[in-house]
Amino acid sequence: MIRIGDVLVSKGEGNVYGERMLKGARVWDPFRSKLAALYYTGTGVELLPEMKVLYLGAANGTTVSHVADYTEVVYAVEFAPRPMQDMLEVARRRRNIVPIMADASRPELYAPLVEVVDLLYQDVAQPDQAAIAIRNCAFLRPGGHLILMLKTRSVDVRKLPAEVFRETVDALAAAGFAVQESVWLTPYHQDHAAIICTKPGGSP
Amino acid sequence: MRSYWFGDVVERGCIPSEGNTDARVRRVLSLRTTMDDFVPLDWEDAVACGICRDREEYLSILREVCFAVTELEIREQYAGKDVELLQMVRTLDEIDELINRLSDRVTEWHQVRNPSFSRKYRRTPAHVLVKNIARSNKGALGRVAVHVEEFSTARTELAKEVSNRANRVLPNTSALIGGLVAARLMSHAGGLLPLSRMPASAIQVLGARTALFAHLRTHSPSPKHGIIFQHRRVHNAPREVRGKVARALAGKLAIASRLDYFQGVPVPEFLDKAQARIDFLGRGGGEE
Repeated sequence: MIRIGDVLVSKGEGNVYGERMLKGARVWDPFRSKLAALYYTGTGVELLPEMKVLYLGAANGTTVSHVADYTEVVYAVEFAPRPMQDMLEVARRRRNIVPIMADASRPELYAPLVEVVDLLYQDVAQPDQAAIAIRNCAFLRPGGHLILMLKTRSVDVRKLPAEVFRETVDALAAAGFAVQESVWLTPYHQDHAAIICTKPGGSP
Repeated sequence: MRSYWFGDVVERGCIPSEGNTDARVRRVLSLRTTMDDFVPLDWEDAVACGICRDREEYLSILREVCFAVTELEIREQYAGKDVELLQMVRTLDEIDELINRLSDRVTEWHQVRNPSFSRKYRRTPAHVLVKNIARSNKGALGRVAVHVEEFSTARTELAKEVSNRANRVLPNTSALIGGLVAARLMSHAGGLLPLSRMPASAIQVLGARTALFAHLRTHSPSPKHGIIFQHRRVHNAPREVRGKVARALAGKLAIASRLDYFQGVPVPEFLDKAQARIDFLGRGGGEE
């Protein structure tokens, strides 16, 4: 990852959402993007220029634009029409984003469009987040990484965040993922956790 | 055979689909894939298919198809007749709030400028007062008052439009409680589909959230009505039958919203009976 001093940045065309620029690079704010927050906690999966990424829950394309700065291609899946309008505008300016309007819990709808990817990134506000990741696992190459941003409050507000967290980690492990790391994103995001897994098999 | 957006991959080779964007869009929308034994596509199959020569061209064609599909789907999502009505009625309610707040503020300001001014013993309606303030004050105060007046005009116009649109989008619901209130119900439910899925008891207290949760948490009495109170047959009904009228009306509204969603045309045989029933209860009749 590229850092200027302590600041995480990405290199690409700026002014996507009014982000600050630093020496010609786009500042990637951990308070706005959960993925940036993950890198600020000192872990995360290194984004490489040859990487193919499947991004579930692309929303307005804010984080997507940063990921696209680092990687070869991003398949950006988003369900709601309103944020998708913004996403399309981002994708028009960045030649390596493939916009897909579909429900991430129904991968069969976009399966004919997506190739095998090196990184599966998931940031959806759904109650069954582990199940969605497992269903999309078919697109991930053996040895590839899954980064799951767990919005514990979207899963079940009545349960303690820690409990939701543990259940999700267990579900992923039971589905054959090797859970590498799991961190809370405080102080950047409340009650949000990141879980990093690898799909077994192949070279890491 | 494995089917992808660019064609069908068979044991030896690849059969390309029709080679223009429109045809590919139709293909993507019609493909039915299952995730059992699913094999993700390999972009080099597209080269074998003769779709493209290299990776760059592959992505560029794929993007073109995906943009077309996405734009089509956004348009379809917005084409629902209720989508614009939703924005209209929410705008209306926000303008209302804005007018109320600003006319209050402007009056307070005016009062400070004119120590002899008071609203006591005067029955000046708020909009007339704002008009007077607009005329008698120079500078920013007068100008703000003028804007409040203009918002009032826009509000009246918008209310008419909302009502007309609701009569078309929600013919049965509007026939029972009027276009404006019908549109508000729909806006609170989040759309016509969510409204049509609501049980009558939920429709009855839609918009009475505070009272409902106070009831669930403490022992306060349950709310009898939410938004539907705005309808004359509820708020004009004698106190002791108001709850009954609200319940019957909500029951009929639940049916009406389903008719609106699934048929979209007024159903007179239902409406006549429903109106008669609600009027009957409103007059204090009923065997319940």
